[in-house]
Amino acid sequence: MFKKLTKVEFTNLDKILYPELRITKAQVIEYYVRVAPRMLALLFNRPVVLTRFPEGINHEGFYEKDAPLGTPSWVETFKEYAETSQRELRYIVCNDLDTLIWLANLAAIEIHMTLSRTDTFENPDLILFDIDPKPPADYDKVVEVALLLKEKLAALGLVPYAKTSGKNGLHLILPIIDGYTFEQTREFVHQIAKELTKESEIVASEFTQSKKPGVVFIDYRQNSQGRTMICPYSLRAVPEATVSTPLNWDDVKKRFKPAEFTLSTVVKIDDNPWKGLWENRQKLKVN
Amino acid sequence: MAKEEKPRIRVSRRPIWSGRITIGLVNVPVKLQTMIFDKGVSFRFLHKADNSPLKYEKVCIKEEKPVAWQDIAKGYEVSKGQFVVFDKEELKAALPESDSRIRIDKFVDYLSTDPVYFDRSFLLLPDKSDDAYSLLLTALHGLGKAGVGRITLKTKEYPVLVHPYKGALVLTTLRYAYEVADPSELEDLKKLKEPNKAELDLAVKIVSDLSGEFNIADYQDSFREKIGQLIEKKMKGETIVVEKPVKEEAAKELMVALQETLKQLKQK
Repeated sequence: MFKKLTKVEFTNLDKILYPELRITKAQVIEYYVRVAPRMLALLFNRPVVLTRFPEGINHEGFYEKDAPLGTPSWVETFKEYAETSQRELRYIVCNDLDTLIWLANLAAIEIHMTLSRTDTFENPDLILFDIDPKPPADYDKVVEVALLLKEKLAALGLVPYAKTSGKNGLHLILPIIDGYTFEQTREFVHQIAKELTKESEIVASEFTQSKKPGVVFIDYRQNSQGRTMICPYSLRAVPEATVSTPLNWDDVKKRFKPAEFTLSTVVKIDDNPWKGLWENRQKLKVN
Repeated sequence: MAKEEKPRIRVSRRPIWSGRITIGLVNVPVKLQTMIFDKGVSFRFLHKADNSPLKYEKVCIKEEKPVAWQDIAKGYEVSKGQFVVFDKEELKAALPESDSRIRIDKFVDYLSTDPVYFDRSFLLLPDKSDDAYSLLLTALHGLGKAGVGRITLKTKEYPVLVHPYKGALVLTTLRYAYEVADPSELEDLKKLKEPNKAELDLAVKIVSDLSGEFNIADYQDSFREKIGQLIEKKMKGETIVVEKPVKEEAAKELMVALQETLKQLKQK
C-alpha cells in the first residue's frame, strides 16, 4: 500500500515504541515524515549516529555509528576513519526522505548529527554551546545562561540559534563559514564560557565543575571531529516523547516549558524558527 | 537451508568483547568474535485458523491479564510458591564486573581436557597485538597445550580454555564442576563386571578395524536437510503468505503524511 510513496518496506508498524504514551512505530515514522522538510535541510551531507530502540524505549537501546548489515544500496554512506572507534566507519548520510523513513523504520528514535559536513569533515560549519543544568538548577536558570550567552555573542557581532535538547538542556548553535578547525571552535566556546563565569555564579566552564549541584555547565567538548549533537527535530527516548526543538528567541524566557515540545505538538508548529540559518553563516575572530 | 552455506565469521562487525589475555605479567590484547552459529530448523507457531503468527505474553496467573514490561520483577523461588523478590537495581549491583581480562592460571595438555566441560567456543583475534598473539599461538600449538583461566562475559564468570584451532586461538567457556553430574556414584555402574579376555580381544579388534581420522564433515543433520527439501517444494506450490494486520487507522495516517510531505518537498 506504500509502494508508490517510498522505497522503504515497513516492518512491525504496530510495535509500541513509547509504552507510557502507547506510541507505535507507525506514529514515530509519521512524525519524522511530517518534520522531514525542516529536518532534511539541517541534515544535508552530514553523517548521522543513531540510537535505536527496536523493543521500545523501556528496553535497552543501542548506539549505531556504522551502517548496519542490510543497509539498502540507495542509502548514502560516508567512509571515514574514526579516532573514537579506532577504525574506519561507514556513516549513514541522510539526504532524502526515504533515508529518514528508513531510519525511523529501524526504530532509530534518536538521530544525532556531526557538526561538520562530509565534504569538509575536518572543519566544522556549526558550533554548539551545550547548556546543561545540574539540579537544583532548573530551566529558568538555563534560560538565564542562554540569554547571557546570546548577549555575549551579540557583542562579538554573532547571532546564535536556540533549540531545546529535548531533555534538561538548551543548545545554542552558531553556523560558521568554512575554514575553522574544531580546535578553534572548541577553544572559542570554552573561552566564552570562562568569561561568563565572571558574570554569573551559576555558570560552570569546566567539566570538573559540571557535576556540582546547582551549576549550569556550558559544555564545549562536543565541538570535535566525529562527535555529534542531537539533530534538530529528533525525538528523544524519554517517556514523554520530547523533541529537540528549534526555538524563536522570543520564546526563550522564564517559565518556558521545554517538555511541551513533543511528538504530537511539534508537528503542529508551522513556523520554522531556523529559517535562513544557512544564509547566515558567520565569521569568528579567533587565533 | 537448501543451499548449504558455511557459517561465516563476521570479523568486520563489532567484537562481542575485547580485553587482554594475561599470563602473569604478560598481556596479549585480543577481541572475541562469535564462531558458533546454531543452524537448527526453527519454526514459528501459527494459529491454524488463519496462519497468523502467535506471540508470547507474560500473563499474571492471578489476574489472568498480560503484564507490561515495566511491571515485571524477578523472583527466586525458595520453595514452592515462595519467592524472594529482586528489583533490577539490586540484581545489577550484584553482577560481577568485567575487568576485560582473560586470566590464565596454568597450562595443561589440551588432549587431557574433557569435552563434557566444554560450553561454547569463541574466536580470539589479535587486537593490534600480532606479535604476542602469534607467539602464544605457536608456543601452544607446538606443545599441544591449552591455557586454563577465567573470563567475565556480560554477567557471568566462566572458567575457560584457550587453545589453538586452525591457525587461531580459540576461547572455550567451561562448565563449573558442580554443573556436571559425576557418574561414578551411580549404582548401575558400580556393579559392572570385568570382561573376560576373549571378549575383550574381540572388542579391541572391532574398535581397531573401525578406527580412522576424526572428520566432522562426515555428519549431516538429516532432519534439517529433509525439511529444507520440503520447504523448497512448499515454496513452489503452497506457500503461506501472512500479511501482518497493520492497524488501518495508523497506516492511513502515515500514508496521508507521506503524500503531504512528498508534495511539500516537490514544491521546493
